This record gives sequence, C-alpha cells and structure tokens, in this order.
Amino acid sequence: MNGLKFNEDYGKFKQGMELMMKPPEFSVGTTPSQIIYTEDKMKLIHYIPTVAKTHPVPILIVYALVNRYYILDLQPDKSVIKKLLEEGFDVHVIDWGYPSGSDRYLTLDDYVNGYLNNSVEKIKERCGLDKITLLGVCQGGTFSTMYAALHPENVQNLVTLLSPVNFDSDKGILNLWAKGLDVDKIVDYYGIVPGDFLNSAFLLLDPFRLMIDKYVGMFDRIECNPDDAACQLRNEEFIKNFLRMEKWIFDSPDQAGETFRQFMKDCYQKNLLIQNKMMLNGKKINLKNINMPVLNVMAEFDHLVPTDASIPLSDAISSTDKETLVFPTGHIGIFVGSKSQKEVCPKIAAWLRPRSLLNGKAEEKTESAKEEKPESAKEKMNEQRKTTRRARVNKK
Amino acid sequence: MRDSDRLNMEQSSFESTQEFYDQWINMYTATMGKLVEMPAVGPAREKSEKMMKGFSTFINLYAAGMDISSNLQEVFIEAMQKVQEKIGADMDGEISPEKYKEFYDIWIQTYSETFKDFAKSGHFVSDLGKLNAHLMDFQKYNREMLEENYLKPMNLPTKTEIGEINKELYTLKKTVKELTSQIKELKENK
Repeated sequence: MNGLKFNEDYGKFKQGMELMMKPPEFSVGTTPSQIIYTEDKMKLIHYIPTVAKTHPVPILIVYALVNRYYILDLQPDKSVIKKLLEEGFDVHVIDWGYPSGSDRYLTLDDYVNGYLNNSVEKIKERCGLDKITLLGVCQGGTFSTMYAALHPENVQNLVTLLSPVNFDSDKGILNLWAKGLDVDKIVDYYGIVPGDFLNSAFLLLDPFRLMIDKYVGMFDRIECNPDDAACQLRNEEFIKNFLRMEKWIFDSPDQAGETFRQFMKDCYQKNLLIQNKMMLNGKKINLKNINMPVLNVMAEFDHLVPTDASIPLSDAISSTDKETLVFPTGHIGIFVGSKSQKEVCPKIAAWLRPRSLLNGKAEEKTESAKEEKPESAKEKMNEQRKTTRRARVNKK
Repeated sequence: MRDSDRLNMEQSSFESTQEFYDQWINMYTATMGKLVEMPAVGPAREKSEKMMKGFSTFINLYAAGMDISSNLQEVFIEAMQKVQEKIGADMDGEISPEKYKEFYDIWIQTYSETFKDFAKSGHFVSDLGKLNAHLMDFQKYNREMLEENYLKPMNLPTKTEIGEINKELYTLKKTVKELTSQIKELKENK
C-alpha cells in the first residue's frame, strides 16, 4: 500500500516536472479593458461592460500599492472584475504602475488627493455623475477610506475589502513587526523601497509553508494518469493557475519612499487613522465624515489584515447604512478561492445593486430615474455639478 | 583566565559559539572598539574618521545578525524536539521510506507553527528591528564611501545628487499640476 503511494507520488513529481519543463502559456488580467486616463505612472482602466445596460453608478476599484491589481482578474474563470461586469456594473480600476527613482518623493497626499481624486473626477466627468462607488482593496481600502472621509461628496458607496483601519492589533504579525522597524532608516537608505524588501517580509511570515510546502503541494495536486487526455488538461490548467499566482506574488512594485514612510509611521506605528488624528497635506482625516453607505468585507483567516484591523471602521464612521461581511477564507482566497465567485462577489453585488441607482436612494426614485431618458439624466447631473463647482470657486 | 571566563563546552555548539562571540564583542568594545572610535587628527582627519566609523557599523550589524541567528537556532532545536515527540506519538517512533509523507506533514506543520509563534514574540520583533536598522546603516555607509572615494573623484553622478534632482523634479511637477488645475477651473467658470 505504502509502496504504491510512493510510486504514485513519484509519478506526480515526474509529471509535474515534465509540465514545468514545457510550461503552458498563460496570461493574467485578460478581461477586455481600455485606458481612459493616465497621470505620471498611474493608469485608470475602464473594463468594457458585458451587459447592455449597466447599473448607473460606476465602481472604481482601488488596489494596494503592494503587488498588482490583476489579482482581481487573475484567471478567466475566477475573476472578481469579470463577475462584477456580469452582475451589470460599470467597473474601473486604478493601476498605480511601477514607481521609480523620480517617484521617491510622492506622498500619501499625492496618491489620495492627487491620483485617486483625479481618477474619481475623470469617471464622474465621463459618466456625468456627482458620485461614484469606491471599492478599496487591502491598502487600497485604507486609501479609499481616507478619500471618502476627505471627499464624501464624491462617494456614493464605500466598499472596503480586507482593509486595515485599526493597526493596533496583535493578531497580525505584520502589525507587530512594523512597530519595531526604523522606517526612517529604510526610506533614507532606499529612497524607493524595493518590492523585494517587502516580499521578503511576507515570505518570512510563514517561510516553511511559503517557500517549501507550497511547491511540494503543487506536485501533490498533479493527477498522475499520462494516458488520460482529460487528466492532462486538468494538470495543465492547474499549472497555469499556479504560475499565474506565482507571477502575481512576486510582481511587487517598489514603493514611493515618502508614502511608505507616512503610511508605516502614521498607520502601523502610531495608529492615527482610527483615532481621527491622521493628516494629509495639513488636513485632518475625520472618519466621522464618512456618511455614505459602507460595506466592510473581511476574511476570517486573513493573516495579513486580521479582522481586528477592519472591524472598528463601522463604529468610527457616521453612516447609518453600514454592513459587515466576514467570509471563512484568507487574504488571497477571497479573490481566487472557490467562495470568491459563488459567495463573495454575488454578496457584494447584491449589496451594491440597490445602492447603485441614480441618486442612490429609494425604489420610487429609481423608477422615475428609469423613466427619465438617460441623456436628460446626465444633463441634469452635469448641470448640478457645474452649480456645485461654481459655488466652490465663489467660496474661494 | 578566571573560571567564569571559560567557555562552557557542555552546552550545544551554537550556545558555545554565542558565548564565545559575546566575550569577543565585549573584548572588542573595550579595546579595538575604543581605538577606532578615537577622534582622528591630521590632514586626512575627516576621511579617516569616516572610514573608521565603518568598523563600528559593521560590528553592530554583525552583533545583530548573531543575536537573531542564535535565537533562530534555538527555535529550530525546539521545533526539532517537537517533531521527535510527535513522531514518537503519531508514527510509533518509526521513520521509514513508506512513512515519508506522514513525516513530511509532521515536520512542515511543526516547523511552521513553531516559527510563527516565535515570529510573534517581542524578542524577535526587537531583534528584527535592530538587524534591519543596522543593515540600513551599513548599506548607507558603504554607499557613502563609494560616492566619496570612487564616484566623486571620477566626476560621476552620485545617488545623493540624483536624489536632489528627483526632489526638484517632483516639486516642479506638483506646481505644474496645481497651476493646470487652477487654469482649468477658471476656464470652466468663465
């Protein structure tokens, strides 16, 4: 029996090695899209809708500066973005790009009040709306929270996905490690903090699982039946997905030094955001300014952003329409795990759907909005926007 | 040599190494360390003072590295002992080729859990912080020496100079963006 098991495992290893020596071609982020705005290295991507009529309020997905946004569109059959498009949403995402030496002095304010704000304005202008939905992921959710607190007039709904706001948690190893770091020395030496530096920290969180067991597990998942074509296809697909994930994990952009400095010191070390003490360009971020509907989504087994880090958002804001969802999955599993397509995306979509109508309120308004010709609704919104802008300029 | 100064060879080899190293560092700090920290004099005063600083920077990094290695060694020994206990309990003490998978599962789970527990300890957090800070100091020192002794004499741009240009560029870009935005707003409200 054990001898048979040994032979089977050897077969898996052999099969896996053969596949790896002739690796299947794979791609990531394949959902059709177009770039609608660029600024420095940042790109604003608009995904081509897959339904005839999308929900009126568009979504802007704000991903973290660490790693890349395409985890949300990693493989065609497990794509958060594709699923949202199928659910009828108009989806945009910010690609922060790869910062280089010239971005060393970019601040958190440049990201939140600069790139993010300009992207929101661009989408508003394109769609002829006053407000859009922000869906922030991980650190991008923290940025979105800051933005929603500073510009609540631009945000119809805020969805935070695995987003830390309370950094004083002893459940996350990263939170503990960050406290002991001399951030100034890191930034002063590197200028642009290398992505590999952060990656080594992530690997150190669980080196045996992440540097050994993951690869052993890869061979273990290989099905060993060389004569079965269907089995070969499954193996190939599995290897493709494994390689996609490998690509994503080690595709780590460097970090703009000043942004890294403020984020690490103000958030991870001093925990200022949740205390309403954090400042961006001299302006205090008051989370009580967040009054729009908020959906706070977490993963129960998240080793990077423990639920402790996200839960306090609900009590810190003044929104009355707020909901918290916790899924029994991990930080990555929530995007590509089996629950992602079946539970996570549908639940987010179900929460957003009634809140993504023009004026975003009651059903009856929806009906009247539906009756209104789309063009006239847009015109009305444009007019409202102009009036607001005029008022703002006059105030200045 | 006093008895207390003798190395205890009954301990594991790594503990002895650590003990030897501790004694060495104490000796270094009391003698050579003082010598290299001594203020330099003469025409090459500044240069030699900077070069001497390199010794302390390296020693600090080495000391931090030794601390963390020593602690990691203890964690590995602890994990190994746990694995032995589990093998005794779950595999009746037998490690045969047929049971390699069971052994692997026990090994990976035990090492992973033990290391994760250690990684959460205040001890490791402090050691990691120190190692990182000393590594940054050391790398910064090396870069400064490279700039000072090679790049500048060869009239080549240094990281410091490029940093200054980048800062200037950043400030200019920011000003242009602000002015563009103001012009746009004024145009729209004409």
